[in-house]
Amino acid sequence: MTVSPFRSLMAVALVALSAGAAAAQDWPTGPVRVVVGFPAGSSPDTLARLITQPLTQRLGQPVIVDNKPGAGGAIGVQQMLVAGNDHTFGVTINGPLTTSQRMVDDLGYDTATDIAPVALIATSPLVLGVGAGMEVDDLAGFVELAKSRPGDLTYGSVGQGSGAHLTAELFSGATGIEMLHIPFTSYAEVTTSILGGEIDAGFMAHSAALPHVEAGTMKVLGITSAEPSALAPDLPVMAGQAGLPADFRAELWNAFIAPAGTDPAIIERLNTEINAILADPAVTAQLLAMGWQAQPGTPAELADRIAADTELWGAVIDRIEAQE
Amino acid sequence: MSAAEGLIFGLGVALQPTIMLYCLIGVVLGTLIGVLPGIGAMAAISLLLPITYYIPPEAALVMLAGVYYGSQYGGAVASILLRLPGTPQSVVTALDGYPMTQQGRAGVALFASMVSSFAGSILGIVVLVLLASWLSAVATSFGAADYAAMMVLGLVAASTIGAAAPAKALAMVVLGLILGCVGTDVNSGVQRLNFGSTQLMDGINLVALAMGLFGVAEVIGGIRGAERHGVPERVSFAQMMPGRDDARRMVGPTLRGTGVGSFFGALPGTGSTISSFLSYALERRIARRPERFGKGAIEGVAGPEAANNAAAITAFVPTLTLGIPGDPIMALMLGALVIHGVQPGPMMIEARPEMFWGLVVSFGIGNLLLLILNLPLIGIWVSILRIPFRWLYPAIIVFVCLGVYSVRGSTFDILAVAVIGAAGYALILASFSPALLLLGFVLGPLIETNLRRALLISRGDPMVFLERPIAAFFVCASVALLLLSAAQSFRRRGRRAA
Amino acid sequence: MQRDLHDLWGGAVLALLGLAVAVHSAVSYDFGTLRQMGPGFFPTLLGATLAVLGMIVAVPAWRRQGQAAPVALPEAAAVLGSIVLFGLTLDWLGLVAATALTAMIATLPSERRGWRWRVVLAGALALLVWLVFSVGLQMTIPVWPWSR
Repeated sequence: MTVSPFRSLMAVALVALSAGAAAAQDWPTGPVRVVVGFPAGSSPDTLARLITQPLTQRLGQPVIVDNKPGAGGAIGVQQMLVAGNDHTFGVTINGPLTTSQRMVDDLGYDTATDIAPVALIATSPLVLGVGAGMEVDDLAGFVELAKSRPGDLTYGSVGQGSGAHLTAELFSGATGIEMLHIPFTSYAEVTTSILGGEIDAGFMAHSAALPHVEAGTMKVLGITSAEPSALAPDLPVMAGQAGLPADFRAELWNAFIAPAGTDPAIIERLNTEINAILADPAVTAQLLAMGWQAQPGTPAELADRIAADTELWGAVIDRIEAQE
Repeated sequence: MSAAEGLIFGLGVALQPTIMLYCLIGVVLGTLIGVLPGIGAMAAISLLLPITYYIPPEAALVMLAGVYYGSQYGGAVASILLRLPGTPQSVVTALDGYPMTQQGRAGVALFASMVSSFAGSILGIVVLVLLASWLSAVATSFGAADYAAMMVLGLVAASTIGAAAPAKALAMVVLGLILGCVGTDVNSGVQRLNFGSTQLMDGINLVALAMGLFGVAEVIGGIRGAERHGVPERVSFAQMMPGRDDARRMVGPTLRGTGVGSFFGALPGTGSTISSFLSYALERRIARRPERFGKGAIEGVAGPEAANNAAAITAFVPTLTLGIPGDPIMALMLGALVIHGVQPGPMMIEARPEMFWGLVVSFGIGNLLLLILNLPLIGIWVSILRIPFRWLYPAIIVFVCLGVYSVRGSTFDILAVAVIGAAGYALILASFSPALLLLGFVLGPLIETNLRRALLISRGDPMVFLERPIAAFFVCASVALLLLSAAQSFRRRGRRAA
Repeated sequence: MQRDLHDLWGGAVLALLGLAVAVHSAVSYDFGTLRQMGPGFFPTLLGATLAVLGMIVAVPAWRRQGQAAPVALPEAAAVLGSIVLFGLTLDWLGLVAATALTAMIATLPSERRGWRWRVVLAGALALLVWLVFSVGLQMTIPVWPWSR
């Protein structure tokens, strides 16, 4: 019996299809690797490990965190894309998915075409911290002071294009004030500089600022999230104050991502498991202690978030570049 | 709580069997990791961090701290024996430690490094207990202008370490400064001299640079003729004891090294690597016969070793009193606390006294353990020299590669080691000093970013370097030192002409 | 007359390197002013300084006698080659195979002949490295070609 080429082609395609379905069902068939673009012990790494530990039990295969730090997290995403075999994923902060395209010369990937969103894990608001010696008590007072001395106040960030820098520029743009940007390399340096009175202000993670507020060496004037933080419920939300729009919001976030082309069934499975982990009160409490607010959601919601933030921060970067 | 009450309270914490056990584990691991080339405290602590999820926070911190200061002891071993620094901070130890080995005094050099490490740590602990609040006030009052001026002084003071020709020495410092420029410029965000590579965005990996310049270059030069060298005799305990003359020479450098290390360790941004370089420079400056340095002067081992160990202890000052980590390793330690729900900050000493005082006392216990552990090990370390080099050097190569890889899991950095190693070998052949290159590399970014930051804050007014008292002091000291050196070389030339 | 080739070559290479850095930085990065230094300020200045220092080292060497140190070329090639090989193969051959391969290449220039000791060394080293880094330090690193 002769088999027509068409029929044999059909057969091959059918086998391939069913193999694909079986692959998703049996998945994972080996250890799962999660690439993190920051060093072990850093905040994104600790957060990733909070997720991967329970994930190991849920998937029945070891889930290993692989730290590939560098270039503000972009190297982690690059390394994840190199492997791309349905067993390699990534946990990353927002920067490499939203602003790195604008900041890194030769990024080597395009978020829109190379990344498949899996799940948003958590968000972290920033607070505006000033030295205890500054004679303002609220955001309105700060804006007033800044307007009375245009270009005179200084603020620190952890580098050009960092979340702290862009947030400060978004804030200055929305309130119509002008401050001088002083870039540093770490939040430790920014905090030291504010405590020593060398610079006036800085946007930073609220979990890092609160101990200094408690010690009376720093004041925080507002938080950039839409809702007050459970960690500091008294801290006023910035949105709607001192001339800021009611929808003013600037948050760092961490997300679980996959290379584009990963089997949708696998992404669905991972999303379900991660949301289940985020429903565990013990996990959310640990995240909150580190300043992270758990954010369960769908892959589509993460995609929307990436698109919205790319636009938001893109506009801020445009403004900064226009000023230079 | 007064210091005395605190220490007694801390004894109660640190003498608990579990804490003691983790302290022992930490210092043993630290020593071994320090001995292995390339893999340093940073990589070891990040690899250990996940394990600390499962042990109590005091024990975790005590263990990780033990790894940190233990690695400073171990780092000296390969530096002295093989001119292969285990960690960047022990590069300087090789300058005089290795010549001592070549003179058959490896045991004495190792003994000197262990004892001055111990002395530096214990005195560092005294400084930490008595001066913690003063040091943390100094740390916050140091501004960009002060850092820039201080580092310029350091560069001026250290620029002549072990150099014959001044032009060749300066060329190495400048080359180091240039290599320090590679990567993202902090002030402008521009990526410089990285040839478009994302891998170089954060600059050249310090460990890759140190391992390439010292380890790899040394291995290449050492293979030929290695078999013909005599095998050193087994050393007895009496032979590694420094003689009365050596012991007398060690006291001053150890004390001064402790001072240098305690100060720079407590400042955020500077640390044990810079401390050891500056201690060496100081000893060479004030020595009556500086020409002995680089040829096996025991002062050149004792001073830097005391300095880097003291710095490893006082590095905890800003970390524990302000909750501000001075370097990436301290940031990791704080990360370990956060995992356990302890929020580091200025209130931690009062809120969690068992943390602070337990840790301080554990430093003492840990260093005592290190001394007891390491003195008998000296004999074993020296016997490494009895292994034929052909067995040793392939292992060195692989350990260097994996040590460099461990920093950030990057195979690019391994390839970088090969390139740097080739350059390092060429430098040794042409008798340029790679130590000065490393010095420029470490100090350069600190000087540039702080100088430009100071001018940014002062809106371009250079008077900021003379108006701030700390900066003004360092600027004056740098100028004075430059004039002094110029006068000295002028006089020397005059004498030669006469 | 044998010239002091080391200083001549060393100085010349450094001078050229300095010149290249200075020119590249001056062209590519904003120099700024003394009061507002741009990203090009330091590299341009440093590159020019290195160029001058390189000349100061090289020029007098032209008239001076010196002795050439023997260059260990085969040793350098084997050591550097083995490192490059390790860097290139670690990710896809895994720790054990890459280590053994590196050890074999690295021992090529050794004066001791024979291959048996080299194989023993490669095997022992692969075992040691696996024990220290993979088992002991729990480093995330592929051990075998198929384990990634």
